[in-house]
Amino acid sequence: MNLRAIGCNVESAPVELREKLAFDASKLAHALTELPARYGAEAVVLGTCNRVEVYLARPNEQAAVHRALVAEFLAEVHGVPTEAIIGKLYELGDAEAVDHLFRVAAGLDSVVVGESQIAGQVKDAFEAAQKAQATGPLLNALFPAATRVSKRVRTETKIADGHVSVSSAAVDFVREVFDTFTDKTVLVIGAGEMGRLTLNHIRELNPARVLVTNRSPERAAALAAEYGGQVIPWEQLDEALVQADIVLSTTGAPEPIVPRKWFDAKVRPRRGNRLLVVFDMAVPRDFDPRLHDGDRVSVFNVDDLNRVADQAAAARRKHLPAAEAIIATEVQKFVHDWNRRKDGPVIGKLTTELDKLREAMVSPLLGKLKGKLSAAEMEQIEVAFRQFQNKVLHGPIAALNEASRTDHGGTLREALMKLFGLNG
Amino acid sequence: MTAILLKGIYHACFGLSYLVALLLELGRLARPAAAWRAVALAFGVAGLAAHTFYIVAHKPDPATPSGSLLILAWVLALFFLYGTVHHAKQAWAVFVLPVVILLVGMSYALFTSDNPTLDLGVPAWASGERFWGAVHGTLILFAAVGVSVGFVASTMYLVQARRLRNKVNPGRVVPLLSLEKLEGMNRRAVTVAFPLLTVGLLVGTLLLRHDHSLSDNWLSPKVLTTAGLWVVFLVLVYLRYGTSVPPRQLAWLSILAFGFMLVSLGTAHPFAEGGRP
Repeated sequence: MNLRAIGCNVESAPVELREKLAFDASKLAHALTELPARYGAEAVVLGTCNRVEVYLARPNEQAAVHRALVAEFLAEVHGVPTEAIIGKLYELGDAEAVDHLFRVAAGLDSVVVGESQIAGQVKDAFEAAQKAQATGPLLNALFPAATRVSKRVRTETKIADGHVSVSSAAVDFVREVFDTFTDKTVLVIGAGEMGRLTLNHIRELNPARVLVTNRSPERAAALAAEYGGQVIPWEQLDEALVQADIVLSTTGAPEPIVPRKWFDAKVRPRRGNRLLVVFDMAVPRDFDPRLHDGDRVSVFNVDDLNRVADQAAAARRKHLPAAEAIIATEVQKFVHDWNRRKDGPVIGKLTTELDKLREAMVSPLLGKLKGKLSAAEMEQIEVAFRQFQNKVLHGPIAALNEASRTDHGGTLREALMKLFGLNG
Repeated sequence: MTAILLKGIYHACFGLSYLVALLLELGRLARPAAAWRAVALAFGVAGLAAHTFYIVAHKPDPATPSGSLLILAWVLALFFLYGTVHHAKQAWAVFVLPVVILLVGMSYALFTSDNPTLDLGVPAWASGERFWGAVHGTLILFAAVGVSVGFVASTMYLVQARRLRNKVNPGRVVPLLSLEKLEGMNRRAVTVAFPLLTVGLLVGTLLLRHDHSLSDNWLSPKVLTTAGLWVVFLVLVYLRYGTSVPPRQLAWLSILAFGFMLVSLGTAHPFAEGGRP
């Protein structure tokens, strides 16, 4: 195996550099054409918001592509000085590179452990490379294996259980209150980033309507246009709250915009027994926390959602050892299988060569002894030579098998080829 | 005496099956595994099969406390099965099975004070001779099913509302149905049970008035607790549709109604005592 994984991630490089090294469609197409042409290597480029990695595989007899070459290439493609890149790149070889890719695909190397998006990104990166004909036997085996290992880890452990983002934790809470969403109205108050993120998750539930209200009519109109919502004037906040089932509030108001007395007087009597869930993402809070009763009105603030997300993340981390164990087994299996695949032709050649050698020695001998020995005795001589050949072959084949479990199969294979003159 | 012992064995047979199913479901809450659920379901189905066989073979009289409780338990066991299949992820059985087991237990406990001979042969209500008695009994039975469903939904509602009030992480607890679903289930149960109960009681009242031999029974515990149940239901319907009382309070009222119903079903029926109409 002659594999290298070279790149940078959140731990090795700042976001400013990762942004510069990001591959858009045209740069990716260029890289997938240029890398195989320039270095005679199979290539896959994996670019996400948290990492930029290049996977390169070359034939065993050639030198591996090293970090400096990749740094030069990245510098050329992105117009960034090589010196700014090279120190931030990590380089992993062979089994370590396999291990790294499996960990990345399973979400163990992600900022949010067990996140599922990365598995799709790994698959997309491989498909793009395959489409550009940049892959070969090793990467064609490695990337599908990574996808399979990722699925195995997610199925056999609880590494991907629970929602670990604040916005998805909100969806967990809202599902505790409501059963159907197609008849529900979502009200967005303010235009904070957290509100937008949560709205993205809530919209996946297909609510009937999205209402938007903001002190700035322009910002309300912009947000409403973006999400296909309806603008409600700020002065009609009470009316909007009467209509709403789910509220996302993220204003920058210094004091609560929905005090309890005001809600009880202006909103509650008009709502009847309808349930209301409020996600108050604002700091300071927009809603009086005393409105929360867990019955008709449930109010969750950023701390509540953070707590749920943190608990889910902590629960996932408990399953890391089990996930690591699966990865270790799968890496060993992949390396072993790959090396065995490479051993097959060598063992075949070795057997053929020794067959020829045995024939060359046995045939003249049996010719000379013909008529002097019985047919049974002649057969015994032939069997003895065969057994001798098998005993001679047993050592090298066993050693190759053993070496293929580690990653030293290549060296031994080359040694055998030289020792037995198999290169010709 | 033999009939009582025999009935005890039957009751123990399906009662214990339900109990094992409940314990397995509780075990599943502590350590989730598909096998627990499958075995729990198998025990539940076995209990229901034995229960059904008993009802078909012995035709318990719904006019007796023991018979009415047993038939109600059977309907709720069907409800358990339906919910376990349709709400596989939720802790459905944990809320329904205790009610089924309680009713089976009460049925057995009260059997000793019933007239055991009533359980043998074709009961009067099923003979076709007393049509209005059968109508009265059937309406009350269906109303009782509604009350029981309302009780289960209300109990779940209170647990779910308590979790929400304490902002418990939904990912760390056994899933329950949403507040909206539970509230809707309770509302439907009350909406269906109230008219059934009202008409059933009207028929019963007319029967009592019609038969002068039963006229002393107006103040019997059965009549009084059933009237109490109806009043609670009336209040419940008024509060639900006429005011905006918090759903949590309505859930408590539904639980109170279930309590009245248990007392009502557990007391001797004037018709059974008098053997008429």
